[in-house]
Amino acid sequence: MAVLTIKNLAKTFNVGTPKASRVLDDISFDVRGGTFVSIVGPSGCGKSTLLNIISGVEEHTSGDISLTSDSGGPARMGYVFQDPRLLPWRSVMKNMMYVQNDRSEETVARARKYLDMVGLAKNADFFPGQLSGGMQQRVGIARAFAVEPDLLLMDEPFSHLDAITARGLRAQLQDIWAQSKKTVVFVTHDVVEAVELSDRIIVLQPGGRIYEDITIDLPRPRRQTDPTVATLQAEVLGRLEAMKTLSRTAAA
Amino acid sequence: MSTTMTPVKARRSTTEKEQETPAWKKRLTSDNAARVAALLSFFLFWVLMSALFERVPGPIEVVQRLVEEFQRGEVFGNFGMTLYRFGVGVALATVVGIAVGVIMGLSQLGRAFFESPVLVGLSIPAIIWSFLTVMWFGFGDLSPIITTFLTSVPFVIVNVAQGVRGVSRDLRDMSTTYNVPFSRRVRDLVLPAVTGYVAAGVRFAIIIGWNGVLLAEWFGGGGGVGYRARWWYDANRFGGFAAWVVLFVGFIVLLDRFVLDRVIQRAFRWRDASA
Repeated sequence: MAVLTIKNLAKTFNVGTPKASRVLDDISFDVRGGTFVSIVGPSGCGKSTLLNIISGVEEHTSGDISLTSDSGGPARMGYVFQDPRLLPWRSVMKNMMYVQNDRSEETVARARKYLDMVGLAKNADFFPGQLSGGMQQRVGIARAFAVEPDLLLMDEPFSHLDAITARGLRAQLQDIWAQSKKTVVFVTHDVVEAVELSDRIIVLQPGGRIYEDITIDLPRPRRQTDPTVATLQAEVLGRLEAMKTLSRTAAA
Repeated sequence: MSTTMTPVKARRSTTEKEQETPAWKKRLTSDNAARVAALLSFFLFWVLMSALFERVPGPIEVVQRLVEEFQRGEVFGNFGMTLYRFGVGVALATVVGIAVGVIMGLSQLGRAFFESPVLVGLSIPAIIWSFLTVMWFGFGDLSPIITTFLTSVPFVIVNVAQGVRGVSRDLRDMSTTYNVPFSRRVRDLVLPAVTGYVAAGVRFAIIIGWNGVLLAEWFGGGGGVGYRARWWYDANRFGGFAAWVVLFVGFIVLLDRFVLDRVIQRAFRWRDASA
């Protein structure tokens, strides 16, 4: 069953003014429950705007979005941002609980479980300022999983981290996802990362239209060093290069 | 051909510099030394002015008058009375100021509603409020309390509203995404984010509010520090007048340094936490 369905979605900033600019145009796709979908594309193609529209932070100009929940109630969302977005004056555990619906023992235990999964159980009483950037981002990831979301949105969560920390976190994310099987929409400009993590890659082109929808049918867990992963990465990169050439030609 | 190498002196680390600085120099250049120097300068200026002008009471005369007031049993009753009025007025201003400031900061409609009354409040000086409240409420506790409240509340509102408007957009978006309830957003996001602005507002409230309480007591009678200061002023004995002013100003300074400062430090202890 589709958790997220998007039909003919468009977004124009500064509507009705001379500065009006369309960043998303005629976007339609759906995401089935338990799948990991990545949205890739060059800078400025509307990836983050699309995620913000799905999350409700941004409003869309036209089209439809629907979210469904297994529970029948309103769909619950988790969001991992580019930066950790933690309350600096609250401890790690209080940050985890800030976004929870209730304060039951079960919820606290779940928050602890995800902190433990990202290796930060011992740091529950620390303030975010006492953690490194990578550790703060791990709290952000644990927080998003701990709300038991119907849909988990991730906006280039590793882009601000150094390569080694990012690689470690990607592996950790794969492990947590394999256990929780949450539905994920993951925005990245890094094709290599997208192939490593996703079941499906949606490629956006400049102008905010879908260029291609690619299925990644590779066994998990995946590592960038696996030859099959590397081959597919090269193939997807090739398709993106072709798209860029096509866009440049069209622009010229 | 030979070249002469000029020896390059190695740069010293901060630890080495720290170790090489003599203890007396560290003490003389410390923050505390600057504060003591300011107090001493003020004291010397006071002594000089009292020596030059007959109508400026010197420190010794002021202390003598203060001792006399203690001996007459006037200090504790009047000081306590003023403190009660001042405390209630500032507490009310803080609570109302935070509530209105949060509304003005979060809601466009709230800002439009409160903007003009707050501006009017800011432009009315304490002396006008003291006249008005004495006319409205007579010679009791109510006039000084209301004067303190009215003179200080606009400053708390303005500071808090400014702080709320400055709350991180990223954190607000994060709260929206996770559907965090409004009450929790105010408690865990907005209020801690504006603590510095609240503290600045309360500081203003204290500094502006004490003008209000003393003026209302001055004009409204009914006991208190302002009333006693006027009593000495009417008796043409400026030493007694100055003694009460020094007593109250001293109290405000101590309150600021030893209570408010520490509360602020505690509220911001998370800032000291660093990786």
